[in-house]
Amino acid sequence: MDWIVPIASCALAAFFVALLLNQPKNTLLHSALIAGAGYAVFMLLGQGTLGYFCATLFIGIACEVCARLMKKIATLFITSALIPLVPGVGLYNTMRHLVQGNFSSAVSCGTDTLMGICAIALGITFSTIIFSNIRRKEKRAA
Amino acid sequence: MAEMDVMLDAVCLAARLVLENGGETYRAEETVEHMCRGFGMPKVDVLALPTGLTLTLAAGDGETAHTRLVRVRSRATNLARLDACNTVSRQVAKGQLTPDAALAALRNIQKTPPPKALFSVLFGALSAAFFCVMLGGKLEDFIVSLLCGLMIHGAMPLYNRCRIPAMLGGLLSGFLTAQLALLCNLIYPIHLEPTISGAVLPLLSGLATTNAIRDTIKGDLVSGSARITEAVLTAVLLAVGICIALSMWGGNI
Repeated sequence: MDWIVPIASCALAAFFVALLLNQPKNTLLHSALIAGAGYAVFMLLGQGTLGYFCATLFIGIACEVCARLMKKIATLFITSALIPLVPGVGLYNTMRHLVQGNFSSAVSCGTDTLMGICAIALGITFSTIIFSNIRRKEKRAA
Repeated sequence: MAEMDVMLDAVCLAARLVLENGGETYRAEETVEHMCRGFGMPKVDVLALPTGLTLTLAAGDGETAHTRLVRVRSRATNLARLDACNTVSRQVAKGQLTPDAALAALRNIQKTPPPKALFSVLFGALSAAFFCVMLGGKLEDFIVSLLCGLMIHGAMPLYNRCRIPAMLGGLLSGFLTAQLALLCNLIYPIHLEPTISGAVLPLLSGLATTNAIRDTIKGDLVSGSARITEAVLTAVLLAVGICIALSMWGGNI
């Protein structure tokens, strides 16, 4: 049962972020659920760089599908669904090590954080590329 | 000629709304292109940056060109406006709206009031508290990061009133969060790591970083590097704020 608390709180946090960003009311539930599911993928894959990549890919694809179904732009869903994955702890720890003068831990922690951010960016780019190809095929067929 | 002006006004306003409310630069460019095609003016060149937009439209006679420059000074995220703007541009692209009707609809979107400050503070604080739990915080950490969230989101309108730039506001937020968390730690021992990083997570705008790298990969080099600067500076200033507060308490936490 250890996994249910972080996943549920992730979904709730994403829900409130969505409210904070004034997301349209009928998309709130979708992005909260996607955020929770994305965090579950992240936890399953061991919270490493691979986890970041796969979780973001999953979130990106789920958001694009939702956007297609509801005829809205994917940014609406992605913005709040992606925020829980951002490595905030990594950033905090990097800074803490710097203040304490542990420069080698700061570098290793900072590198991990940077890798995480790059993995997230790659994941979201891949999902966009996949869907822009599908859109082009649809247009050609029509 | 007058119709041309209305058309340009509508297109520029749509692009401005996209950029001011959290849309990506490529989305602003696509909006302009789609709308111009919908108005029957397919020959348009547009360059959108996070801080502004310029477009040149060739008129039907093939001799005159019209150029407009839009400066974007405030950038916030208001997804409801972005969505409404997208709906209008879709209708225009399908040829369902005249330039006059589109301009009126877009002006209405511009007039929609921003969400109430009280709600923003509440939602920001609640999201901070749940992020804290997500990162492994316990009940006491939940309460402290809720307090931190209330404080930093409550202080945001104040920064606006005192004309403190958004970046510097981030530094102050990080500083205040760490101070309050350390103060609470003195009264009742809490887990500082999830509390502080949970409280500042809603401010980190990971989307800025992600969008920055995505823009760069897509080939929008200028807006990509501008956004990378923005994202890195935001994160660094936030961390510097935390850093200052930590070192005031001796740094050995």
